[in-house]
Amino acid sequence: MRQYETLFIVNPDSSEEDLKAVATKIKGVVSGMNGIVTSYDEQGKKKLAYSVKKQNKGYYVLMDYVGSADIVSEIERNMRLDDRVLKYLTVKLADEVDPESIEPAKSEPPEETESVETPEEEAQPPEAEESAKEES
Amino acid sequence: MYDRRRRRAFPRRKVCRFCADSKLKIDYKDAKQLKYFITERGKIIPRRISGNCARHQRQVTLAVKRARHIALMPYTTIQPH
Ligand SMILES: [Zn+2]
Repeated sequence: MRQYETLFIVNPDSSEEDLKAVATKIKGVVSGMNGIVTSYDEQGKKKLAYSVKKQNKGYYVLMDYVGSADIVSEIERNMRLDDRVLKYLTVKLADEVDPESIEPAKSEPPEETESVETPEEEAQPPEAEESAKEES
Repeated sequence: MYDRRRRRAFPRRKVCRFCADSKLKIDYKDAKQLKYFITERGKIIPRRISGNCARHQRQVTLAVKRARHIALMPYTTIQPH
């Protein structure tokens, strides 16, 4: 079991019902893949730093969940196909999570691994752990 | 001139602020905090200016890139449209 969080942007024109529908659908994907949603935080409408799909604002939603590795691609596939979701970013928070200890978690700094919609310049620094000892 | 202006805006710190204060967290979702580490144009400030240690600069860089990806921070302030 791994712990992930996905931050995604929902179209600002969405109604309350739309937001609820997105929540139900995405949570359903997680549970359908035997994952557990540990928190689902609708952070409200925010201004975007640059326009995404012609939109300058969006509802930010942060979802924390625990599940197997293939859960992420399934969630992202669903978000890609859903016109209400403008953009998403998934970050792995922990490699091994004890299923017993699952509770709504306030996360520590995320690890280096992540899965993004566009792999662009997000070169992952795998040397972070080793070279971390140099300083301090 | 460009250099001098930046130096004044971000004076060199002897100690990395994240090493100095362990309560400070580097979080890509916290755009307000990350703003200290980018220029007005949105570029990441090099650590020789910001004073971050190598480890924390890497974490800041990763956080800024994540924040950019999810539109919490700009790639550049010059809008292409
Ligand atoms: Zn440091």
